[in-house]
Amino acid sequence: MWAIGGRIAGSLATLLAVSIVLFVLVHTIPVSPARVVLGIDASEADIAEFDRDHGLDKPLWQQYAAWIGGVAKGDFGKSVIDETSISRQIADTFPVTFELVLLAFLFALAVAIPLGAISALYGGQTIDHLARIVSVVGVSIPGFWLGLILIAWGAVSLGWFPAGGYVPWRAGALAHLQSLALPAIALGLYYVAIISRMTRSSVADVLLADHVRVSRAMGLSRRRILTYVLKNALPPVVTVSAMSFGYMFGWALIIEQVFNIAGMSRALLSAIFRRDYLMIENVVLVITAVFLAANLIADLLYAWLDPRLSR
Amino acid sequence: MSLTRRSFLGTSAVAGISLFDPNIVLGADKTLTIALPNNPSTLDPMQISNHDSMAVSNVVFENLLEVDLDGNVVPSLAHKMPEISDDQTIFKFDLRDDVVFHDGSKFSAEDVKYSYEYMLDPKNKSARRTLFAPIQEIAIESPTRIIFKMKHPYRPWFQYMTKFMGIFPKGSREKLGDDAFKNAPVGVGTGPGAFVEWKQNDYLEVKKHANYWRKGVPAWDRMVAKIVTEDAARVAYLMTNQAQIISAPPPREFERLKTAPGISTGSKVAVGGMWFMQTNTKRAPFDDVNFRKAVSCAIDRKRIAKDVFYGLMDPSAVPAPTTVSYHNADADKAVGYDPAKAKDHLAKSKYASNAEFELLVPSTPYLFDAADASVVMQSQLAAVGIKMKITAMEMPQILQRDIAGTQVASLLPLMGPSDPTFIIQICYTADQLMSKSSGWTSPALDEAIKESYKYQDAARLDPIYKKIQAILAEDCPNIWLGFVGVSNAWRSEIKNFKPNTGLTIWTRDVQFG
Repeated sequence: MWAIGGRIAGSLATLLAVSIVLFVLVHTIPVSPARVVLGIDASEADIAEFDRDHGLDKPLWQQYAAWIGGVAKGDFGKSVIDETSISRQIADTFPVTFELVLLAFLFALAVAIPLGAISALYGGQTIDHLARIVSVVGVSIPGFWLGLILIAWGAVSLGWFPAGGYVPWRAGALAHLQSLALPAIALGLYYVAIISRMTRSSVADVLLADHVRVSRAMGLSRRRILTYVLKNALPPVVTVSAMSFGYMFGWALIIEQVFNIAGMSRALLSAIFRRDYLMIENVVLVITAVFLAANLIADLLYAWLDPRLSR
Repeated sequence: MSLTRRSFLGTSAVAGISLFDPNIVLGADKTLTIALPNNPSTLDPMQISNHDSMAVSNVVFENLLEVDLDGNVVPSLAHKMPEISDDQTIFKFDLRDDVVFHDGSKFSAEDVKYSYEYMLDPKNKSARRTLFAPIQEIAIESPTRIIFKMKHPYRPWFQYMTKFMGIFPKGSREKLGDDAFKNAPVGVGTGPGAFVEWKQNDYLEVKKHANYWRKGVPAWDRMVAKIVTEDAARVAYLMTNQAQIISAPPPREFERLKTAPGISTGSKVAVGGMWFMQTNTKRAPFDDVNFRKAVSCAIDRKRIAKDVFYGLMDPSAVPAPTTVSYHNADADKAVGYDPAKAKDHLAKSKYASNAEFELLVPSTPYLFDAADASVVMQSQLAAVGIKMKITAMEMPQILQRDIAGTQVASLLPLMGPSDPTFIIQICYTADQLMSKSSGWTSPALDEAIKESYKYQDAARLDPIYKKIQAILAEDCPNIWLGFVGVSNAWRSEIKNFKPNTGLTIWTRDVQFG
């Protein structure tokens, strides 16, 4: 219990440290928000008034305290560009990105774990070579290029999927899943390669372990032995998968752009282009929190899979 | 009939394709979907700074006059073109009597006076107030007649009407607040489309104005503007009928789209789509006229237009497209591509032995991607012995430097109003926004611009515009590169649509085939 509490405290401390670094970085950008909003011909008096209205004239530590205090209460503030609620924007876009990443993650797990396990069980054989080729291809293809190829194939040529956009659930489950299928594949393929290689390596190591040899000698069924092998091989796969889940939020930025999905990653890109610094700060902080949460869950799963670690 | 595995799979595939076909949902109602490359910054007609915003704001708001698809100024909320006094300072507009706002209230001269006075009030911080600053007084003669008195003759303001202003109901600003105009202008326009919803980074939606004064338009019941920032995705939207009209198709795809089945394309040179190298005549090496001319003569604009922009640019060494009646061919030739002349000018320059400069180039595309073109220019300049260092910088920073006059040279793509004097006025006359970026003024140029404000007709304006180009070519204060072609691609079933000269999409008159 203490170990879990320690991990949670560690994650919160990391999040706090990231928030400080993020805040300092964003506030050292040379183009001021006032200049972006008021335009290049704004007078110094206008700039000063804008800074005063938005609290930008206060010392940096006071600005940080105000921001992080608001975040702790769930209030991310208002965009300096268009005065819209950032909490509302995140609430609108986060579920979209989360669902896309979740689907991509499930796709990656569903393909990678069986592929890696089969590859290890049939090491050196044709199926193993094929799995390795899939891995190399998956790692090598840039996500944006794969996205474009999938659009050209699945949307333009075959007409089976829309070329882009996000269809909400209320428009129908089929149309909804259709709109996310290609982006999820484009986002997940890279991680199929990563997770399947880790699975293969881990399963191959466990297959050589003494307990597996003893199990075979005892005459246990192949299925039962495989169950033991997979359970023992999973901890490193869980770690890599959790990290992959976090990284996917970053890569979703490119995928959402290519597939024109109005998710949080695309909102981040838009904020970057508009120099909406407060929005950038908040979205990056949310992505960091997701990353830390995924790693925390991985640690907990790790402990569950291997109780020795929690002792 | 027996059901074999093959027939089952075949039938399932057909059924599956039918279910999955995204085209099936389109056309069920009269919805027109357009795809825009950028997220609008605002819908407030007096704050428009992004040309993509206008594809929607021009559907919601209207003005007394408008610029038609061919660039002609024609009446809109005004019943006819205004009566203009002999001294060109009094403009009497007769207004239409059959116009209502989206909220059902009747449009009158009171709304026009209120809208313009609100925009002209400095405390309301209209982004384009200075463009209308010559308006001295607005008087109402009757509910359908209004008089604008100007401080001096000022022809360009007709051009600025559609681009930078729209009419809203009297009292609406106090009632709704400026934010409502920016994000959700419900009920406050007279245009063919009434605002419904704007989801940031995703789409904007308007519905047909049921009591629109022009009968028979729009043909659509809903118009949705999808924000599709990726070039390839925008083309895919068109190919799959997820959008019926797309803005700014990528030049490299445009040739292919011309012959794609079911797709129509069009391109037109925009007088306001300027592209130029803003050189600072107060800083070395551009303080030397011979060096400026050497750079101008070293750049092969036609090659850039053909190989980099695939013909979607009209190359010109003067601030006028080659296709307009006032283009001064002699001036263009004097500073146009001629490597021998470039070397000659360079030899006469005081920087002949150390001919190098830094060019600021937008790091992210604005209107179009100029990065490739700058690399081509670099090689062309190197061919005559001029070394150009390319520095990528964000557009706001480049503009900040230009306005402060601290840049040596910058590559500027701008989309201004179609009036030929607009960019010349702000760059080469004193105390204007971009005056310091050129550091160059000319009494002869001032006189010519002032003279041009008196006239409306091409017969008298063309010689003045040509004279302005000759003055600029003589001293070559900056390097003109060309004018961007406005291009659109659309589904062939969309009728009565063509690109306009405002680099936006004009959807009011679109018909479904």
